[in-house]
Amino acid sequence: MTLTFLNHQIKAFWRSKNTGKSIAMRIFMAILIIYLLLNVLVVAFFMDTILEKTFPNQDSIQTFNSFIIYYFLLDLLWRFQLQELPTLAVRPYLHLRLKKNQIINYLSITSLGSTFNITPLLLSMPFLIKVLIPTHGFLVFGAYVLSILGLTLTNHFFSMWIKRKVNLNAIWMLVFLGTLLLFVLLDFQFKLFSISALSAQIFGQLLSIPSISLIFLVLAVLIFLMNFRYLKSNLYLEELSKASVSHKSSTEIPYLGRFGLSGDLAANELKLILRNKRPRSVIMTSILFMFYGLIFYNRPDLSDYPILFCGMFMTGIFIINYGQFMFSWQSAHFDGILVSKVSIREFFKAKFLLFTLFSSITFLLTTPYVYFGWRVLLIHFVMLIWNLGVNTVLVLFFANQNYKRIDLSKGSAFNWEGVGASQWILSLPLLITPFIVYFPFSYMDYPDAGIAFIGITGLLFIISREFWLNLLIKQFQNKRFTIAEGFRNK
Amino acid sequence: MQKDLEINNMIEIQDLKKGYYGVNVVNIPQLSIKKGESIGLVGNNGAGKTTLFRMMLDLIRPDAGEVLSHEKNVASNEEWKEYTASYLDEGFLIDYLTPEEYFHFIGGLHNKNKAQIDTELENFSDFFNSEILDRGKYIRDLSKGNQTKVGVAACLIQNPQLLMLDEPFANIDPSTQIRLKNLIKDLNKEKQITCLISSHDLNHVTEVCDRILLMEKGKIIKDIATNSNTLQELEEYFSVLS
Repeated sequence: MTLTFLNHQIKAFWRSKNTGKSIAMRIFMAILIIYLLLNVLVVAFFMDTILEKTFPNQDSIQTFNSFIIYYFLLDLLWRFQLQELPTLAVRPYLHLRLKKNQIINYLSITSLGSTFNITPLLLSMPFLIKVLIPTHGFLVFGAYVLSILGLTLTNHFFSMWIKRKVNLNAIWMLVFLGTLLLFVLLDFQFKLFSISALSAQIFGQLLSIPSISLIFLVLAVLIFLMNFRYLKSNLYLEELSKASVSHKSSTEIPYLGRFGLSGDLAANELKLILRNKRPRSVIMTSILFMFYGLIFYNRPDLSDYPILFCGMFMTGIFIINYGQFMFSWQSAHFDGILVSKVSIREFFKAKFLLFTLFSSITFLLTTPYVYFGWRVLLIHFVMLIWNLGVNTVLVLFFANQNYKRIDLSKGSAFNWEGVGASQWILSLPLLITPFIVYFPFSYMDYPDAGIAFIGITGLLFIISREFWLNLLIKQFQNKRFTIAEGFRNK
Repeated sequence: MQKDLEINNMIEIQDLKKGYYGVNVVNIPQLSIKKGESIGLVGNNGAGKTTLFRMMLDLIRPDAGEVLSHEKNVASNEEWKEYTASYLDEGFLIDYLTPEEYFHFIGGLHNKNKAQIDTELENFSDFFNSEILDRGKYIRDLSKGNQTKVGVAACLIQNPQLLMLDEPFANIDPSTQIRLKNLIKDLNKEKQITCLISSHDLNHVTEVCDRILLMEKGKIIKDIATNSNTLQELEEYFSVLS
């Protein structure tokens, strides 16, 4: 029976609309997934060198141990955010002659096929083989694999259970992330309470007493049973899919009311973002991008290029991430917009308003980077101007070429619905133009002039926005039938 | 003279053509709809009703010909949006809003404030049958029938001169069907609103509409002023086909 279920599952995957119909898309997807896995493998392969370099006066196995708990806490956070619950998949089976246990097993087993469950093993295996086997032998190696497997499964079923039980919204996520950051600070900055030391201690025991690993396995089994029992007593779809349970109320966004009709439209779109899963997860990833600078800025020989790059991404992440699917977000009611009394000009103005609002927020969020020097903040501000001036126009120009419908209720991770050629072509000018502007100045040794020039270009675009607006409207008038027709294709 | 024409003709269609993959979906040489008429559009699936509606609302570009609303081509100006209200399918609704938010938004487009809209919505309490307002649901969580109610009510609060509904009777319960029929009849008779309604239910359209257009393969093959024999005539046509 389970085999039949799996067979259906495979069919569901290949025949789903998200998978993408064209062969090119599938090949591209396969390449991307392989590329991501290769990245993980490369990191995994050089893990011993990385660990030794970052913590030179520590045994690399001990360093590895000290990060295990952190890894799984972070893993849990990602799972809360991104892992899909395959609840509706059982709908066609519930009324058939199948035992509840079979159905729950199906739910549990099919849910296992997720990249979340492969990554931990993939990430640790090369390191364990390279370092652990030569020094501690196969028994300890086996114990480690078992422990990591146990923890992975524990995380997996725990997140399944808690996500069904509690409606985890963005606030919970932020609280979780905040607590995690607090622990990291306490650990490495203030040295008050150390999770890494705890982690090192627990997993250090594995080296001498391998059988401890069974504890993690038992833990996994317990969590699995807990999840199983919960599902068994609650196998009602309307109870399991929490989405429509809470009371929905009408809200007003007062600040936007000042901008007249385009303010109303922007308020509607803000509601679109907050009330639908896919745009919401776009916002969540945008917030995570606020840490992007930490990767590059923490070095003494910081040049302007990474700041320009990170500055553009961090202040413009909303424009880039949300803007690439512009109009597609509204594909479900695009006909309604076209026949309503909304003029195209107001429609476009609302987009600019929304971009300005979000980019200003993200700019404010990046102000703590002033820690790395005032120049960082200055360049961020210049990139904000650039984003508002140039990238908004660029994104809306490509929005006019985008005819793909998207379903707002699906998550955004590995979701290819709505992705087409325009996204790929868009990313090129988006990424390159600021550097084209900056490079000649930097090459002639006038980096300040280069940055000023980026700012001035951005400012010129903002001042001449009316002109670009007219061009965009003209283009939209030509394309609107094609766009509307594309959006009608479910 | 000019003014008379404006008053008389709401919609004027000339040589309107649209085809997909070589098949003519809509092909109407000439059609005029007078102000205050109520028109029922019938025809089997694929006859071109929705495509015709969409071209009249400038949602699809015709291959040839034009649709004039108040003598102005709908494709080249937007004045028709001032007095035209339409509901074709759920694609017209902003489904992540609550019905109240949606009504307020639509009302705002026609310069009505929230209080005005709320008062107007009170008139719909029978029609809504307390299933729409204050239910704590987004439009996407409503049933299809209730979504239709939201769409129809949103049309009416726009105080249109031209009302276009695509199969409004499908999905809604019998009581609401009867209420909707009366509503449309009243609007048409008392406020002289031009109505254009498509339906598969021959009883409903013959009851509501003064004039029936029968479409087949993109053409209007019959144009009947409704009388006591119309229903029978239509039933004969459709039973011969099947």
